Amino acid sequence: MFGREFFVNRYRLLGWEFRDVTPRQAIRVNAMNVKGVKIVERLRGLGVELEEIPFVRGGYWVLRSEFSVGAAVEYLLGYYSIQEAAAQIPATLFTDLRGKTVLDACAAPGGKTVQLADLMGNTGVVVALDVNERRLKALMNQLERCRVKNTIVYKLDARKISKLDLKFDRILLDVPCSGNFATDKDWFRRRTLADVERNAKLQREILAESVKALKDDGEIVYATCSLEPEEDELNIDWAVKNLGLETVEVECYGEEAPTEIFGKRLDDSIRNCRRIWPDKTQGFFVCKLKKRG
Amino acid sequence: MLKPIEDFARLFGAELSLDGSSVVRKANKFFMLNPSLKILAEKSGEWLFAGTYLGKIDGGRFHPSFPLLFMIAEQAQNRVVVDDKAAWLFVCGRDIFKEGILEVKGSRRKGAYTLVFNRYGECLGFGVIAKDLEKARDGVVVKNILDVGDFLRRERGERISET
Repeated sequence: MFGREFFVNRYRLLGWEFRDVTPRQAIRVNAMNVKGVKIVERLRGLGVELEEIPFVRGGYWVLRSEFSVGAAVEYLLGYYSIQEAAAQIPATLFTDLRGKTVLDACAAPGGKTVQLADLMGNTGVVVALDVNERRLKALMNQLERCRVKNTIVYKLDARKISKLDLKFDRILLDVPCSGNFATDKDWFRRRTLADVERNAKLQREILAESVKALKDDGEIVYATCSLEPEEDELNIDWAVKNLGLETVEVECYGEEAPTEIFGKRLDDSIRNCRRIWPDKTQGFFVCKLKKRG
Repeated sequence: MLKPIEDFARLFGAELSLDGSSVVRKANKFFMLNPSLKILAEKSGEWLFAGTYLGKIDGGRFHPSFPLLFMIAEQAQNRVVVDDKAAWLFVCGRDIFKEGILEVKGSRRKGAYTLVFNRYGECLGFGVIAKDLEKARDGVVVKNILDVGDFLRRERGERISET
């Protein structure tokens, strides 16, 4: 079970007609580093055409630039990060991050880790985990470039969070996923349903482990850049039915997630999740969870 | 613990007042931790990076991080301000020519270390004065030692995109 037709047909069954999309490049201003710096005006003065992203504060689409915004001095000084628009959403869904103990369970290359630190005003603690050496290096470079002060990095598999013997107020699960065709032009050729199911199993293992490390009044934000329901609604339905979690209503960009997937009826609360079909952004899925009762 | 860091800051005429109890050495690297991070770091020594990275000792020499350079920049006596073209070339790893310098403060002597700023007052890195700045009329006057373009060079060919 693979190939473009197979997956495009699944999207149709979920209510979306396939169209090829190239997401726009986006940046996110690091508020903690731009005090006294009019960064947007400065970039515009350099000829960078920016459009404010309506659904994330400090986010801008780069419509045109004569140079790479990832090589500008302003980038190197940590004034902004390059972060796809939909990927800017998950960290903003937490309530009251300041002073909290936060886990970024699959952190590298660190865009969301920096965003968490920024939203926390460098207060509290972010514990950032990843397993891949090369990606960990990228994460640590980002933390240095963006002058993050409140983060500690471990090389640790998110399925072994218990080893840290810590309880968290907030847990970001930006889990490893199958990705989507909008950011990977070979996606349909490379991916099979077996890949999707393998990733979905890994994601459930991470979800189950993270619940053990969540404080009773804590919050989890779960996100993927996969359009495949096995990694999205079906996993959250499983978490609601097996891990004592419930979804929380969120106000954010995206469609209400479907509660019936390929003939299978899901828990009604799955509608609180948000599914983002590729358009101005890549494909994305996000939801907020807390312990039931 | 703080000596290599403070000695480095003095090269620029800066006296750093770091709280010694907040600085942790991990192998050859130095980090400054807030109290919550320090408790965590002491609980498990398996971490790779924590708090503000200050720099490392390699080959018997101290190599500063950029956050440390920015801290030093707040107090440094030795500084040159360069024009836009010289700033861009410096960030690309190039040395600074006399004609690119807008302003000099602190030492002008050959061999002195100096921070390099752009016209916005942002520290871009540091170098060593290659010719007495009083006497030099042209040519390279500040040799580049470290600039913020290093972030790009570290990841050249292996940039990992954010999903």
